[in-house]
Formats: sequence, C-alpha cells, structure tokens
Amino acid sequence: MKLSTLPACYTNMETMPKADPRKTDSLAERLADGDPLAPRDLVERHHAELYRYAFAMLRDVHASEDAVHDAFVKALEALGRYSSERVRGMSLRAWLYRITLNVVRNRVKKNREVAVEEVPVVVEKEGGGERFMDALDALGGLTEKQRVALALRYMLDLPYAEISDATGWNENTVKTHVRRGLKNMRVRMNIEEETK
Amino acid sequence: MNVSDERIAAMLREAGEDITAKKDFGPLVERSLADGADAFFTAGSPLGTMYVVFGPRGVKYATPHPASEEDFVRHYGETFGRLVVPSEDDAMSEKISAIFEGEKAEVAVDLSDKTPFQRRVMEVVSRIPRGEVRPYGWVAEEAGAPRASRAVGSVMAKNPVPLIVPCHRVIRNDGKTGNYGFDPERKVRLLEREGVPVEEIAKAPYVATPTTGIVCHATCRNARRIKRENRRPFRSMSAAVDAGFRPCKVCRPVAAA
Repeated sequence: MKLSTLPACYTNMETMPKADPRKTDSLAERLADGDPLAPRDLVERHHAELYRYAFAMLRDVHASEDAVHDAFVKALEALGRYSSERVRGMSLRAWLYRITLNVVRNRVKKNREVAVEEVPVVVEKEGGGERFMDALDALGGLTEKQRVALALRYMLDLPYAEISDATGWNENTVKTHVRRGLKNMRVRMNIEEETK
Repeated sequence: MNVSDERIAAMLREAGEDITAKKDFGPLVERSLADGADAFFTAGSPLGTMYVVFGPRGVKYATPHPASEEDFVRHYGETFGRLVVPSEDDAMSEKISAIFEGEKAEVAVDLSDKTPFQRRVMEVVSRIPRGEVRPYGWVAEEAGAPRASRAVGSVMAKNPVPLIVPCHRVIRNDGKTGNYGFDPERKVRLLEREGVPVEEIAKAPYVATPTTGIVCHATCRNARRIKRENRRPFRSMSAAVDAGFRPCKVCRPVAAA
C-alpha cells in the first residue's frame, strides 16, 4: 500500500496529541479491559517517582528499593483480585502513593523494633551528595506528616489536589503541613528567615 | 513564600532529582512484575494455539480456548485472581513447545493449590510416557488410593495444564477412551497421533504372553515386544489373573476397584 492511500490519521502521527505520562485514567481502563501490556506500563511509569518518595522517607537505597518492590507486588496482587468495574474507576497514581506510604511505615516500625538507636543512614554518594543529604537529613527530623507533605510537594512536584488524593487530607491541611514543614526545615538547616 | 522558603523548596527539588538521577530501574521493574503477576506466552499444540501461564513455582495453566489476548487476560484474572503479563522467558516457552511437539522435556508444574492426593495423581499421570495409556483405577492405585478411580477422574477433569500433564493418556477402566473436556473425540485424535491403537485397547486393554506368563497394559513397552502369535488379549485384569498370568513389574497393571 502506498503512503498516500493511507487514511489521514496514519500519516499525521506527529500532529497527534502526546500522551500525558502522568495520566493514569486510561491505564485503569486498559487494566480493566485486559490489555496484557498494561501491568508493565503501570510499573514502568510509576517506579521512579515511588522510589523517590520512599527514599525521601527512608533515606536508604536498599530499604527504598524493597519498599517500592513490596508496594508494587501488593498493588499488582490487589489489581488481580479486583473486578474490572472496580479497577476501571481507580485513580491509580494516588492509590500507589498510599500503598507506598503504608509499606514505608511498616518498615520504619519494624526497624524501630530491631534497633533502639536510630537506623544508620546509608547513601550512595554520587555527585552533589552533600547538600542533597543535608536537605534529606533535615527532612528526616520533621514529623511524618510534614515530611510527606514536603516530599510530595517539592521532591515529587505534585499539585495540592493530587497530594490531597495521595494522602486523604484536604487541601488546606496539606498546605498547613507544607508551611509548618518549611518553617521546621529553616530551623534545622540554620537558614535565617529572609524577606524580599 | 519568602526567600528562605524558596531556597529550601529548591534544595528539596534538587534532592528529589538526585535520588532518581542515573538510577537504572529496569531490573527493579522486572522483579516487581515477576513477583506481583504471572507470565504467559502462546505456543502451537495439537489442540491449537495454547495460552500457557507460569509463575515463580512453575507452569500454572494452559488453555486453547480464548479468542484474543484480552479475553485470555480477563478470563485468567476472573479464575485465578492474578494479573498476567507477556513472558520474557524464552527458555520456558521453548520447553513447553517441545512438550507440545511430543518431545521429552522436564518442566516444573505449580501444584501449590492442590491437595496432597491431587498432587500425587498429577505426578503419577505426568510419568505416563507418550504412546502409552493407563486406566483411572491404575492411577488411583499408584497414587496410594486404590479405590479412588472416580476421584482420579475429577482431578483429570480439572487438570489446569492439559498436554503438559498428559491427562489424555488416562482412559476408562474398561479400555474405552472416556471423557476429555467438552470434546471426547479430541482425546481419540490426540492418542492416535501419539501412536496409541485406540480401537484395539477399547476391546482389550490388557495383553499377556504364555512365554513369560506375564500380563501388561496393552501399551506397555514390554507388551509391544510380544510376537503376534503369542499375544493373548484380555478385557480385564481379573480375567488375566484367573487365567494364571502375573502382572508386569514395569507397568504394574491392577484389577479395577
């Protein structure tokens, strides 16, 4: 078949709107419809951001890798059990964030039971290590809610509405945690309050 | 937001980028998928194109029925409550294809959701060689439950991995081929393809020879060596035993319970 005889939609690929990588609604549809490639797309699409989230909370490479692995296994197993109607209506991204936080919490709890002293921080120091760990160490000293709020807002760059979905807090509560978190960070990092 | 807050926000953004920079998530993605979902591939078989599923513990399911991959994925989810993704493991699909083509290949079958009896039945049946058949009663005896012919029948009816565990090689105690899914004719064609003389066995599932005084299943490798003029066909084991023959030690025929 000559190119000119193809319908227009085939020849104008470059003008088609690009799929938004953050959009998971269509992925929920594809999972519900039995698209065999959908589970892999789900894991590939969200692995990096969930790892970033886990690391912000745990500050340990292996613990974070394991936490994300466990979160995905829980998520995939649940998606296998759910009816397609239920899967179709899910906000997968927010759901994955909630599962990840649960796994992270359980790990922190377990670690506390194992060691009375604080778990040592293990980080692969590669490029720009110092300052990035300063910020993460300071973050580690905040309350869990403030840590979650700052990690999602700045490290994951989520808008307040999505943070609200991922945490179950309303948007004003999220804003409060972000504000208090920033204030605490300022104190911990010895940064003087400056105004323009 | 004041200037110092902006500095902190910028540091956190940078920290976030540093965490994932230069990190290869490929192996982690594979590990999550391998543990959270099962894998499938398709392979040509005497029953048509088969969808085959395996997990970490071995092959779990094989079916020739679905019309499309989407149908299959949904059907698997509804039946097993697990997601299933295309396999990346060529070694497994090559082994299964070899089995479907009639070659010998060892493959682990995941029997973790079976009872001990069901597991023993599946193991006994998987040892029946190509070209041979055994009655339900024999499988029951070998599985350690001599009177459980019917129970063997229901394990076979629910065999999740047809052809891989060759339930088509298990026949009725009277020598007739018996049921096979929705299509008993298919069982006959499968057996004929493997060189089993189906009609002969329906008349006489046992063969004895006066030269040794031994009686075998008609498809036992020893029975096939008996010269034409020495073949003594029997309809039942009890008739052969009454005639003074003793059971072969290789195929171990038993009187049906």
